[in-house]
Parts: sequence; structure tokens; C-alpha cells
Amino acid sequence: MKVLMVCSGGMSSAIVVKAIKQEADKQNFPLEIKAVGTGEFEDELKTGGYDLAIVAPQVKHRMDVFKEQAANANVPIELIVPTGYTPIGAPKVLEQIKKYSK
Amino acid sequence: MEKFLKWIEEKFMPPMARLAEQRHLRAIRDGIISTLSLIIVGSFFLIIAFPPVKSWADAVAPNVGKILIPFRMTMGLMALYAAYGMGYSLAKSYKLDGVSGGVLSLAAFLMMTIPVNVDGVLKKAAEAGIQGANPIGWALPMGNLGGAGMFAAILAMIFAVEVLRILKKYNVTLKMPEQVPESVSRSFEALIPAAVIIVVLWFIRVWLNFDIQKFIMDIFAPVKGVAGNSIWGVLVPIFLITLLWSAGIHGASVIGSVLRPIWLVLLEENAAALAAGQPLPNIAPEQFFQWLVWIGGAGATLGLAILLCFSKSEYLKKVGRFSIIPAIFNINEPMMFGVPLVMNPILAIPFIVAPLVIGIISYIAVSIGIVGRFAINAPWTLPAPIGAYFATNGSISAVILVIINILISMVIYYPFFKVYEKKMIEEEKAQIAATESTLNM
Repeated sequence: MKVLMVCSGGMSSAIVVKAIKQEADKQNFPLEIKAVGTGEFEDELKTGGYDLAIVAPQVKHRMDVFKEQAANANVPIELIVPTGYTPIGAPKVLEQIKKYSK
Repeated sequence: MEKFLKWIEEKFMPPMARLAEQRHLRAIRDGIISTLSLIIVGSFFLIIAFPPVKSWADAVAPNVGKILIPFRMTMGLMALYAAYGMGYSLAKSYKLDGVSGGVLSLAAFLMMTIPVNVDGVLKKAAEAGIQGANPIGWALPMGNLGGAGMFAAILAMIFAVEVLRILKKYNVTLKMPEQVPESVSRSFEALIPAAVIIVVLWFIRVWLNFDIQKFIMDIFAPVKGVAGNSIWGVLVPIFLITLLWSAGIHGASVIGSVLRPIWLVLLEENAAALAAGQPLPNIAPEQFFQWLVWIGGAGATLGLAILLCFSKSEYLKKVGRFSIIPAIFNINEPMMFGVPLVMNPILAIPFIVAPLVIGIISYIAVSIGIVGRFAINAPWTLPAPIGAYFATNGSISAVILVIINILISMVIYYPFFKVYEKKMIEEEKAQIAATESTLNM
């Protein structure tokens, strides 16, 4: 499964992405996950062939814009639960991701 | 406090977010962000030209002019790059051709500046025996193409892209036959808008001789003054950013999209003054906040991260352990959502108060000249003392102030941290008791 995460600058999400990837490996869940900043989000989404886009909680005020961009790229999109956006919150986000796996 | 946080989330945040998401402001923000790499690289040439160590400074002194060329071609032409980037973004947001939008705004911006020909003067100077006074042909004065021209660039960009959009909307474009390749027909689509933009600005600037650049600069001068050299310019952004963050919104990304153009102009003025060997005029460009106030990230949370590492609560200690390294590099989202600081009625108070207090102290220290002013855009992920050192071009007292500010933030966080810690320990104990009682059953 291929997932794209967007946060403000792509810095903090890199930390969270790493934790999610580790958690997925631990659970033997095949996951490819990448983090980008808001500026790169639209282009990456169009070209990357993603199954799901997830949005960091601190940029939820841009959710409408992201939703539109995701709809254009035909990718489902979900907001990460605030408590999931930490290294130890990774299992929660993985649960959110798994809901979309076929 | 809890009600207050709820109020922020439900009443205060939506209009602020809408403002930040407003189409033109977004284009301005994205366009300016596209120039940041040039500004960071360019401003490092300022450090090379004026190194903080005296013997090095003496060594490079004869070559300062040459060293500063990359600085002049990047930061010195900031508005030029921004005009293109902003025009591109705005056109894109209207689903118009981005490159056409960028090029048209660039042209509109340049039409506001009259080129000059000083060959007559130069020839006379050469005859009088002055070295280097060779004719240069037409020249564009650079003074208005840097930070000083930023507001004019914004206006030019909006004008150009709106003309493009409106003419397209009412179908006032040259239509090419279908056989013509798309890239060619697109360039013809911009023909009438280009003509309108150039003729209108030509008429205003040249025939009416109305100096748009100067007019806009005069309008923005008071705003710039308040933002750059008053205590309100320091306190209002700090208050709004921490308020938004305590409701879980990236405050700097919202407030910054409104203030960043002004902050960048303030920084450019300081950089230009440094390059010219003059005293730096502005106290509070964005770097003031970045290095003296947002130590460890918004809310000055490095101090709290240190406290967390020594917490008696197992959970908070764990959060401290994984937060401390990112915090050194000013990334604090793991703490924001881990502690959490977001929607936390106890910790919201020091989260807002600590940055305000160190903001006031820093404002005083910089304004009376104990601490150097900011002229260089250092990458924001540098640890604060190092970033402050570079960004002030070598002010040791700025480094000391960073350390003092960390200590002050720890003192302010401490009592609230203790209250929260106690609550967490009680919860942990209750949880252990609960698991034990189920085990005993």
C-alpha cells in the first residue's frame, strides 16, 4: 500500500512517517509511505500512484484545499487523529491507514 | 481555559484560516517561498564578506565587492523573482497557464521601473579621468527590484493575473486554429492581456509620470515601521501564533502568510545596510522570532522538552526522550501532539506567556543594542544558538541571550509542568491499580 503524508514543511512528518513505517514492518504490513510539505503535495499526489493521502493535524485548516487536490488525483484522503501525530502514536495512524487497504 | 481553547478552535481559528487560505495571499506566500532558497544562499555571501573574526574580515576586505555579487543578484533582486513566482502561483490557482501568469507579472513589475541611460554623464566622467566610467547603455536601477519593490511586485502580480483571468473569462483572446500546437496557441492567448498590461502601466508610469513604486512604499511605510520597530510588531505575532497553536493549528503558517512579505522586506533592508556598512534599521524581521523567541519551535518549547526528560511521570519522560533531539532543531510537533500541548488548558498558559516574556526581553536587548540585529536568513532547523550567531552575523551576545531565554522559558513552564505532571502521575497510578485489580480477580 502506498501512502502520502502532508504537513506544513515536510519536516515533522518525516519523524512520524519513520515511526509508522517501523510499526508497519513490525506488523508485517506492506507499506510505502512518504512525507511532503504543502507545496509539493498536489504534484506528488498526481504522479506518485498513491492509495491514500493523510493530513497532519496542524494543517487541518487547509483541509478543504487538500480535499480538492486529492479529489482531482482520485486519491482518498484522511486527517490524522491528533494523538497519532507523535512517534508513539504510530499504531493509531497505522490503524487509520489499514481501513483503506484492500 | 478549556472553554477559551474551544472558543479559539471554533470561533477564532476559522476566519484566520480563511484569511490565510485567501487566494491572493496564498499566491503571495507560495511565490515568496519559491525565492527562499536564493535568499538563504545569497545571504550567506554576506557572512563571507563580513566574517565575524577581525583577522578574516581584514583578509577578505579588498574583495568585498566581488564576494557580494551573488548577494546582490539574489536578495538584491528579491522582488523580481517573487513577481514571477507569485504570478505563477496565482495563475495556477485560477487554473490558468502558470508560466504566462509569471511572465506577465514580471513584465508588469518591470514596467513600474523606468530604465535610465547615464552614458552622457559617464562619458564626461571618463574625459575628466575617472577610472571605470565606461558607457553602459540602458540600465535598470536595482534599488526598486529588491525588498523595497516587494509591495509593488505584489500589486503588479495581482493586476497582471487578474487582467489575464478577466480577459479570458470574457473570451477576449486570440483564437488559433485547432491544428496549431497547444504551446504555441497558449502563447498567443496571452497576447491581448500582455498588450493591455503593458500599455496601461506604460501610460501611468511614463506619460502620467506617476511613480507607483514610491506611492506604494509610502503607503506601506507605517505598517513596516510598526512591524519592524515597535513592541507590538513583536508581541502581536507571538500572541496570535501561540494562540493558534494551542488550538492545534500551525500558527506560523497562518500568520506568516500575511506577515512574511513584510518580514522579508525588513530583513532585506538590514542585509542591504550591512552590505553598505551602515547600522541595521530593523529590530524584528522573521529571524528575530525564529532565533530569539521560537527556541525549540513555536512556544519556545526547548525549555519544556528539557523539563520533560527529567519528569517523574513515565509517559512525559518518554515524550521528552523522543522530543528532545527534534526540539534542538526547532521541530516540536512530536511534543505538540505528544504531551500534548494542543488543547491543553494547563500548559496553554506558559505556552503563550513564555514566548511573550522572552519576546519583550529580546526586544529590549536588541533595541538598546546589547544584542546584534538580524541580517541573514539562516536555515530554521539550525540549533538556536548557532542560528542566532549566523543570522546576526556573529553576535556573541545573541548566543548568550538565547541561553538566557531558554532558562527563562524553563522557569515559566516549571510550575505549570509540575501541575500537569502530578495529574499524569495520578492517571498512571490509577491505570496500574486498575490493571492490578483485574489481575487479582
